[in-house]
Amino acid sequence: METAVQQHTYKKENALFPFCKGCGHHHYVNHLDEALVKLNLDPNKVCIVSDIGCIGILDSLFATPHTFHTTHGRSTAFATGIELADGILNDSKLKTIVVIGDGGATIGLLHLVNAALMNVDVTVLLANNFLYGMTGGQHSQFSPLEFVTPTTPAGNIVPPMDICSIVKSCGATFVRQAAATDKQLGDVIAEAIAHPGFALVEILELCPEWALPFNKIDGKSINEKLHAENNMNAAAVRQDFTTLYKEKVLGSPKKMVDDTITPKYSSALNGTCRIVLAGTAGEKVQLASFLFMKSAISSTLHATQKNDNPVTQGSGFSLSEVCISSEEILYTGIDTPDVVIISSPEGLKEVTANGTLARCSSDTIVVAEQTLSEFDCAGKVSRLPLRALCTGSRAALSALASLNMIKGWVSQDALLEMIDGKFKEKSLLYHRDIEALIPFVKI
Amino acid sequence: MSAMNTSSIKIRTGNQMIAEGALFAGCQFFAGYPITPASGVYKSMIEQLPQRNGVAISAPDEISALAYCVGASGRGAKAMTATSGPGWALMIETVQYALMTELPVVIAMVQRLGPSTGGATQNGQADILFTEFCTSGAYTIPIFAPSTPQECFEVTTIAFKWAELLRTPVVILSDKEVGMMSEDVDFNQLKNTPPWYRKEFTPQNGRQHITYDFTDLEDVPLFAPVGGPNKVTMTGSAHDKKGTLQKNSSETLDVLIHLQKKIEARKEEMAVVRVDDQNDAETLVLSFGITARTAKEATRRARAEGKKVRNANVISLFPIPEKKLKEAAAGVKRIVVAEENMTGQYRSVIQALFSGKEIVGVNSIGKMITPAMIQNAIL
Ligand code: SF4
Ligand SMILES: [Mg+2]
Repeated sequence: METAVQQHTYKKENALFPFCKGCGHHHYVNHLDEALVKLNLDPNKVCIVSDIGCIGILDSLFATPHTFHTTHGRSTAFATGIELADGILNDSKLKTIVVIGDGGATIGLLHLVNAALMNVDVTVLLANNFLYGMTGGQHSQFSPLEFVTPTTPAGNIVPPMDICSIVKSCGATFVRQAAATDKQLGDVIAEAIAHPGFALVEILELCPEWALPFNKIDGKSINEKLHAENNMNAAAVRQDFTTLYKEKVLGSPKKMVDDTITPKYSSALNGTCRIVLAGTAGEKVQLASFLFMKSAISSTLHATQKNDNPVTQGSGFSLSEVCISSEEILYTGIDTPDVVIISSPEGLKEVTANGTLARCSSDTIVVAEQTLSEFDCAGKVSRLPLRALCTGSRAALSALASLNMIKGWVSQDALLEMIDGKFKEKSLLYHRDIEALIPFVKI
Repeated sequence: MSAMNTSSIKIRTGNQMIAEGALFAGCQFFAGYPITPASGVYKSMIEQLPQRNGVAISAPDEISALAYCVGASGRGAKAMTATSGPGWALMIETVQYALMTELPVVIAMVQRLGPSTGGATQNGQADILFTEFCTSGAYTIPIFAPSTPQECFEVTTIAFKWAELLRTPVVILSDKEVGMMSEDVDFNQLKNTPPWYRKEFTPQNGRQHITYDFTDLEDVPLFAPVGGPNKVTMTGSAHDKKGTLQKNSSETLDVLIHLQKKIEARKEEMAVVRVDDQNDAETLVLSFGITARTAKEATRRARAEGKKVRNANVISLFPIPEKKLKEAAAGVKRIVVAEENMTGQYRSVIQALFSGKEIVGVNSIGKMITPAMIQNAIL
């Protein structure tokens, strides 16, 4: 935002630059100040978000803009958060400028990549002096081939990363490269700041302290590293994230289903009933226990449910544990189950492996698919033609509903209401299953 | 049942209730990254926050997620993220940055086991010391642990209150069992702490804003957002009150001490310990998170056998609620600390409070502690 009062500088008066003699950072700071003066921005609408390293401490040189001196490599991420809160929550136009070195850009590359992808309205001024100056001149992933540093005494054998190409490939809409000594740099920075959306300027610099003693490098060789193609925008200008978010996401009314459950039924259950359902993924095992839980709550009971499946959620076993109780449920685990329903070989394998079967007592009701192989269990085991009568996908729920019809843990009316509500006309299949299973369930 | 007319019961997980609590507390900014068992918080926030004109976005990693939140907090937003141990490991430096810059942020840490490759759906309460003692400087990170979906709501409102009032990162330490289990939640019975917002700087008598200003060490500086009319100097470097980078000035050392003092001074005010008392109790069963529920069940069963047991559900794990814990232990002979980790992490940091009493740990890894395990430890 431009201000009515002409600003002459944003720097502190007589600021003492902390950089070594001849360091490119001097030019960097002055060009940044020049750009701000050119744009005549309200200092309260500018936030300089600096990274660490020698360049990071430039925050102390600026008097009037807000400054945010962040952690190593993360400045772009902090700036992203500032910009989104500013633009979306405050409907304001703070100019957020990231000051980062090549070291910071290396460790924080993903933040740059994501800011470019999002096209967040942040300006990144990357000071690339090909090394880590503050920590002792170590080479970075931006060091040129054959570059000699304390950590590449034989010369760098790994080519440097091309940050301009990287962010361009991520859809950055403004990418420039210039030398710190370039007279036009102030204008380039001003253009970057004014650009709506993500902008990156890679500024090539010299670190006299660490680069000069070991390498033949000067202004001329730096200029040779500049690539004309880096000063062309790859992606067409597109909406920045803040604008898009406001347009497409913010305030968008989403239909929220009212899933309040009215406890309008009752149950004779006195105490807690702990049930394990075990079957195959995709066969509605967890849905069965969810509907049962819902009908328990509708029957004025308390209920908990937890599910388990292998890492790939759509294959292998599917397990669900549901506890229903007339009291508040404290312990949510199942040591000795009251009921175990096993509807498939995968389910049997899992209740064997996780110890559920071994923990059954002589009171445990175990309903197992008829065709399953033999298994050891202390409970009262009945084998039913679940899959033949109900198919795999209705087996768990139909078995549970048939058992409940006899035992009355939850109101059967509540359970049928849940089944009808969920499966609509297909619920008739469940009604038929239950009728067919009842003669087999002799408990 | 009279509850029929007044209840509003829904099936919710602990993770969903953290999101509900955050919305109630006025959270305006959420950034998330997928991780089991915390992803439910992320999903709920994405579903609900933008509708309320808040920002809920996806980050490319956990470092970004927290840095987005801290940046947004600097611009004045109440912010939250959610993660689990592997993500917390990545966030730690940014947690410390929020602490140094005195920017409020809430992190829901839903515990599990293992690195990202393993233990995603195995419960754990083994990140307690990892979460609390992660900063260089050993600053206290306030940690609140819910044991039910209902408590997730309440604890989240408490976490936001203290994050805002203290201007510091606050952790909700949940666990997979609490986070992913579904339960009936009566929305009409939810407890909460009303929404709070950090105290803001207003220019008076031409006074300029000083980013980290305080008179007494325990004072919390008045907040001004970046982008507002008062210049702000945020820095993660050691700094004086103005935010100027300094190392050894006495003012800088004061700032470093102040970061701890402001939390310590409110230690008792932050304490939440729920005690279920019994006359002449001989044993105190103390627990938190999912195991607090199991401990209550064990207490109930032990009392049915005629044993004299008191039960304490510790919700504010840190700062350690010393006074309340000592009160809870008054008169008992034995203290049983039940927690789902191998080495008794919380026991190790509170046992010094109970000299002269017998302290017994009930521990487990990879599977839930059962009521019987706790019962066996009761006198
Ligand atoms: S060490 Fe290098 S980068 Fe740092 S101030 Fe000195 S010359 Fe500049
Ligand atoms: Mg560098």
